[in-house]
Amino acid sequence: MNNNSNLNVWGWPIVLAVLCAVGLFCGLWGDGWWDWAGWIGVGVPTAMAVWFGFRGRGAPRP
Amino acid sequence: MLSTRTLRVWSWLHKWTSLVSTLFMLVLCITGLPLIFHHEIGGWLGTEVVAPELPRGAQRVSLDRVMEVAKQRFPTKGGMFVSQEPDDDKIWYVTMSDTPTSETDLKQVAVDARSGAALAEPKLDRGLIYVLYTLHVELFAGTAGKLFLGFMALLMLIAIVSGVVLYAPFMRKLRFGEVRRERSTRLKWLDLHNLLGIATLTWAVVVGATGMINTWADLVVQYWRNDQVAEMVAPYRGLPPLKELGSLEKAVAAARAQEPGMRIGFIAFPGTAFSSEHHYGVFFRGSEPLTSRLFKPVLVDAVTGEVTASRTPPWYLSALLISQPLHFGDYAGAPMQWIWFVLDLITIIVLGSGLYLWWVKQRAPKPARRSAAVEAVR
Repeated sequence: MNNNSNLNVWGWPIVLAVLCAVGLFCGLWGDGWWDWAGWIGVGVPTAMAVWFGFRGRGAPRP
Repeated sequence: MLSTRTLRVWSWLHKWTSLVSTLFMLVLCITGLPLIFHHEIGGWLGTEVVAPELPRGAQRVSLDRVMEVAKQRFPTKGGMFVSQEPDDDKIWYVTMSDTPTSETDLKQVAVDARSGAALAEPKLDRGLIYVLYTLHVELFAGTAGKLFLGFMALLMLIAIVSGVVLYAPFMRKLRFGEVRRERSTRLKWLDLHNLLGIATLTWAVVVGATGMINTWADLVVQYWRNDQVAEMVAPYRGLPPLKELGSLEKAVAAARAQEPGMRIGFIAFPGTAFSSEHHYGVFFRGSEPLTSRLFKPVLVDAVTGEVTASRTPPWYLSALLISQPLHFGDYAGAPMQWIWFVLDLITIIVLGSGLYLWWVKQRAPKPARRSAAVEAVR
């Protein structure tokens, strides 16, 4: 396995995991902008799950 | 790369921790779904108490009067807790019981904090929300049910971790978000299971772990009582139990003077789990989003109405209190509730597809039953 394939597999999962963790924390930390940060942080991974879940990505490019 | 043998172990772990806990997790997800909106549902069902609008700055009646009103409704019962909602100080909810540690036959009276009028008697032991809540928290099996569900949550956390380990071998040849829809139903659901599981990973771990911590709530509070409360009220050790309680209003006023700027979350009567035998426990909330979740207890002598002690809660109580919003999703407003709702639905799909994938493999002829993860790396 090379670093490139590692990044291919884990790149997005890590981004979404960190985003969600930051969102969960921000929402709890404050009001106003912090709430927005919370909605975006937790909402984006959720939206991506729904988007790819319904639409999916087609077969890999040749 | 993981060796075939290591993969087999993770695969075994994922299969069995999931199989054992999935049914219970489905119950939790399904009952949890409406519980996210329990306030709103209570509003629709008309079980939510609403205080009438009175001119701003209206006088507030004394808490002793509030207790008199509650006592008129249930003359044979004594006070257990007096509480108010974080966002509404117009109503006092007085919980009454036969003894301070009763767990059944609790009654509640909602009293208008300004007029002293009894507004309603919220039912604590019936109704849709009660049934869903009790199923969700303890499967109608008391403390044993709680601890059992806590253990199921632990299994689910192991299933999540092992699922993450197994994610890589499956994704070797796929891009993130790719779902092979045309090849076979099994492959489609396998890809969906992996995609939805990995995308909601952090949320599932946080809600699972905080749910598990919440099942220990009674034990944590009990420990706090034996640990810090016992120290704070050491001079009272060995004194006979109280026959007559002093003024609640005076006690709460003394506690308020000690913690200016904080709002009352709830008041625990002497002998309950949240106080000592001789004190009113007055629990304050902060006004910031985070501190409003962290209670600061002040113990007030229930006869003289003088403050005995006040201490910032220890780390384990704070951890329990912070676990609550992170499990309930009742912070950062309605959008967060809806995100919780969608994530709960996604989790149901992950659980269901996991069960389906196991079932399909079961039915497959022997050679094909080789662990799918092991197969994927060949």
